Amino acid sequence: MMYAYIIRRVNLLVVTLFVLTVASYGLAFLFPGDALMNLSGVVTTDPDQYAELKQKYAFDSNYVYGFFVYLGHILSGDWGISLYSGEPVLEEIARYMPATIELSSYALVLSMLIGVPVGFWAGLRFHRSIDYTIMTGSVIGFSIPVFWLALLLIIVFSLQLGWLPMSGRLSLLFDIPQRTGFILPDILLSDLPNKADALYNAALHMVLPAMSITIVTSAVVVRITRRSVADVMESDYMKAAIARGFSPAQAIMRHGIRNALLPILPQIVMQFTVLLTNAMIVELIFSWPGIGNWLLQAIYLRDYPAITGGMLAVSALVIMVTLSMDMLIRAINPLKRRDVHGTI
Amino acid sequence: MTSKARKFALLAGLSCLIGACDDYRRTGVAETGVIYCSEGDPATFNPQLDASGTTVDATSYQIYDRLLDIQAESNDLVPALATSWLVKNDGKTYVFQLRKDVAFHQTGYFTPSRNFNADDVIFSIERWRDATHPYHQVGGGSYPYFNSIGLNTLIKDVRRINGYRVEIELHRPDSSFLANLATNFSVILSAEYGDTLLQQGNPEALDSLPIGTGPFKYDQYRKGQYIRFRKHENYWGGEVQLDPLIFSITPRSSLRVAKLLTGECDAIAYPAHSELGILDQRPEIALDEKPGLNVGFWAFNTIKPPFDNPDVRRALALAIDKDTLINAVYFGSAERAKGLLPQTSWAFQGSLRDTSYNPVAARELLDKAGVPRGFQMDIWAMPVERAYNPNARRMAELIQGYLKAVDINVNIVSYEWGTFRRRLREGIHDSVLIGWSADSGDPDNFYRPLLSCSAIFSGTNRANWCNNEYDRLIDQALQYTDFEQRKLFYQLANTIIAQDMPLVPIAHAYRYHAYQSHLHNFQLNPYGGLSFAGVIKQ
Amino acid sequence: MARSNFYQESQFPSPFQQTWMEFKKSHMAMIGLVLFAIFILLLLFAPVLAPYSPDQQDTESLLLQPAWDPRGTFSYLFGTDSLGRDILSRVIYGSRTTLGISILMVLMAMLIGCAIGAFAGMSRGLRASVLNHLLDSIMSLPSLLIAIIIVAILGTGLSNCMWAITLALIPQFIHLTRDMVRTEWHKEYVTAARLDGAGKVRILFDSMLPNMTEKLVVSGTMALSTAILDISALGFLNLGAQAPTTELGAMLSEGLEMAYVAPWTITIPGAAILLMLVAVNLVGDGVRSALRYRLHQ
Repeated sequence: MMYAYIIRRVNLLVVTLFVLTVASYGLAFLFPGDALMNLSGVVTTDPDQYAELKQKYAFDSNYVYGFFVYLGHILSGDWGISLYSGEPVLEEIARYMPATIELSSYALVLSMLIGVPVGFWAGLRFHRSIDYTIMTGSVIGFSIPVFWLALLLIIVFSLQLGWLPMSGRLSLLFDIPQRTGFILPDILLSDLPNKADALYNAALHMVLPAMSITIVTSAVVVRITRRSVADVMESDYMKAAIARGFSPAQAIMRHGIRNALLPILPQIVMQFTVLLTNAMIVELIFSWPGIGNWLLQAIYLRDYPAITGGMLAVSALVIMVTLSMDMLIRAINPLKRRDVHGTI
Repeated sequence: MTSKARKFALLAGLSCLIGACDDYRRTGVAETGVIYCSEGDPATFNPQLDASGTTVDATSYQIYDRLLDIQAESNDLVPALATSWLVKNDGKTYVFQLRKDVAFHQTGYFTPSRNFNADDVIFSIERWRDATHPYHQVGGGSYPYFNSIGLNTLIKDVRRINGYRVEIELHRPDSSFLANLATNFSVILSAEYGDTLLQQGNPEALDSLPIGTGPFKYDQYRKGQYIRFRKHENYWGGEVQLDPLIFSITPRSSLRVAKLLTGECDAIAYPAHSELGILDQRPEIALDEKPGLNVGFWAFNTIKPPFDNPDVRRALALAIDKDTLINAVYFGSAERAKGLLPQTSWAFQGSLRDTSYNPVAARELLDKAGVPRGFQMDIWAMPVERAYNPNARRMAELIQGYLKAVDINVNIVSYEWGTFRRRLREGIHDSVLIGWSADSGDPDNFYRPLLSCSAIFSGTNRANWCNNEYDRLIDQALQYTDFEQRKLFYQLANTIIAQDMPLVPIAHAYRYHAYQSHLHNFQLNPYGGLSFAGVIKQ
Repeated sequence: MARSNFYQESQFPSPFQQTWMEFKKSHMAMIGLVLFAIFILLLLFAPVLAPYSPDQQDTESLLLQPAWDPRGTFSYLFGTDSLGRDILSRVIYGSRTTLGISILMVLMAMLIGCAIGAFAGMSRGLRASVLNHLLDSIMSLPSLLIAIIIVAILGTGLSNCMWAITLALIPQFIHLTRDMVRTEWHKEYVTAARLDGAGKVRILFDSMLPNMTEKLVVSGTMALSTAILDISALGFLNLGAQAPTTELGAMLSEGLEMAYVAPWTITIPGAAILLMLVAVNLVGDGVRSALRYRLHQ
């Protein structure tokens, strides 16, 4: 059963990625300008070079064959060249993607650390004043547009108080060679004499962007947790446990936590994709060198090879994350294993 | 890793709460490092190829040197790579004595085997002058500044006399020649590097991985992000105090000002005029002001009907209120422009009459010219700030409001800066808000690149306006060395401009410079071009 | 109108009335509803309520502080922006654009989504399988990401954004309707209707739709809050509404240039978006918990 499920999921992944590549191939023809240029990112007036490109992308044949040739290039890692920077798109994505993953994962972990306990608290005090207070806070928190929040944080903490930096993820004065793409391991791996200073500087740069995302996301996590805990508290088995003489605290410890937390996980995973979108916007505001900032710049500059590449990479990341989390949840939650058709 | 990061973040947060993190700029190694927040990507690392201020700021005075320099205060020419020079009696032949022991940069991609000598001067000039030079076509073969002022056709020959002496012969005397050799564009490249690259079959690298004699050498460039320069250890002009020098590319001016306030930039390009007041109040920030040699204007595409009709252009000039534009866009830190030249130029004509705001007369003129009510026109607004126009977009929106009052509907057009300039060259615009920053103090540097016929092809004449009488006048002016005589010709040229109105001059903006006061000796150059050569960080 | 009651039968409130009564009990939900009503009033009567036209430039008073600042005046309650336009009027017109377009988008998405969802719920076999596969993968992408991608393709501009967000909102309605139709299909009342000889379309409209309305309202409010957030985010990113159109997100992005000199050009439009979202979310929460309560009974 489990294998059938995994095959079905991987099948879904492959189908989705296939659809996305079809879309990105089609886009090259829909975008303004020369389709060949949009695919390859090579701007040339030299007829020989153009003929070579034509050959490479099989432009003389029909679209279907052309698509499979293109798919071959994509699979072999040739994603074209950015019109703006002139560098290979895949290389650029590999350079910017880790910064986004880094920021998003810190924000996700922080949101769970804050959101789950607060949500638990509200759930246990369901429909009492503390619950209302928390819920009011959470409604506001999850209604705040993340870009506005980021701006307010900058105005207060960077401009007025001067406590925290507002752009980038490390002062440019540090010359850290890129190894993993994640800034903190990179600092530790570098041969810089003052690693502590660099780490401190990187951590300071992380505070405001992570905070903007965390505030919005933890508000959602609070809601999800509260709902789940409240449901568990109303359930018959909890009532039964208490009736059998467990104190409420004991009942929660024995039966509540696991049962309340398991249904939360898939919903939080759903939130990861929203969080990633928020991170993309926040990156732009904090000049964070991540994939969102890069993709938006590509859109502004009408850099078509980069747009299609970025779209493919971001969607693939989102789908793979949701998929792997979904499988993980199934592994730990026996209730979920039954429905093969379940949606992500 | 995650927990470590959190610990650090927590630590940072805590120390901030007790108010002890005002020194988050502390970087340990980099006490001598400087971050300059610039407004955009340089188009190339060779200013011969691109006349834009962004390219010049990033390259001219950092990577390269010129034969002569202009001293900012006195406008005098001072020695740079040439220690002395003389003009022969015919006024057409110049001899330059070159400086010895000037080392080129040694970088990861090139190790020079010899010092600077006459070959480098000849190589650098012949590249843009001689169309048969192996490097002439590399990088597009277009040398906008030299072509727009006709320097490539002025020079007859460049000769090597000996290793450290060069002779340049002109076709005719030209009183602005030496000043042109001192501009930001007349940089000296390495002939040896050129030869090496040619052998390797990679000549394009000459302009993307630059080698020069200047105080800083190129280290790393990430487009849209930063340029990293290291100091040139053997700089001829003395010990360089800064290392590294970083250009952090920050296109949004409000962001640059904010980063200056938070200390993430040591100095910034083009502080927004609206925020000068705030910068002025901050004790830790120095703000220098100088009247700029520039002009911001609204140019009409005079080859496109109905803008080929001078009446239409005059009418549109009458329809806008320049004073309000200056107030709202420059926040008062500019003087109203009557002609091309600012007041600081010696050829400035005080008696020149300016257009006044008169929408009624404007509408009448438009009716007479047969421009219907509800006529639709484009205004192209530059996407970047320039000294001469800090916010073209807002200016366009204000003009939109004014033209609405005379029943003309305005559509504002803007592209990314590179695309913008490329499309502008195609000549498909109706009108454009742009301007000019002078490269030398000579008035010819305004009249010729902006409105002469030859400047249409080099892409600096945005009005596509060609008037033979005007061209004759500005040519004649160059035959004389006496300022009063030249001034007469320029006044006649002014009259033609005022009558034909190919462009509406709007303002001469002051130039500003904002930096942390721990930078010393950071001077403003009135001709544009930024130099970190003598800057000290304390 | 007095109605004489012959029978001792007590009046049972209809399901809608029950929900409403439950909804009324929650103060938060009522606050949300009042706020929402205010925004709807602004939407309908913007030209009457706004003191100035949103494009009117007063070049005499650029960047004027809001009225509560000693330097502000009461003729410009929320101050002016860098072109001397009244921020209060711009916020009113901006809310109108943002909310109006969002509501329009949600209605469109709901209509299309329900139609496709009903079809999917009633069909079997390969067609359903393909649709489910596609739906599953699209549902896993956040709507704003889809919208950004679509805008990247179509080009920037308000109308393109509208299409993009509408498209991005559709899948959740398909999902909802499909699941509803699937579960309801086997219930007794549907079977009864089927035995009576009612056709598929008739069952859908006469029997199932009334049972779905409240759930649709709940996901409608959720979609509305997503739509508002997305349209203003796209506006803020300069991908949506362009210059002369007044839209809250675009106003924020314009205010960015003056963030330090004139923070009110950022705080005020942002606060308007926040209030709008709070109103929608509170109403949504209220309806949802009222509905949950009713179904629980």
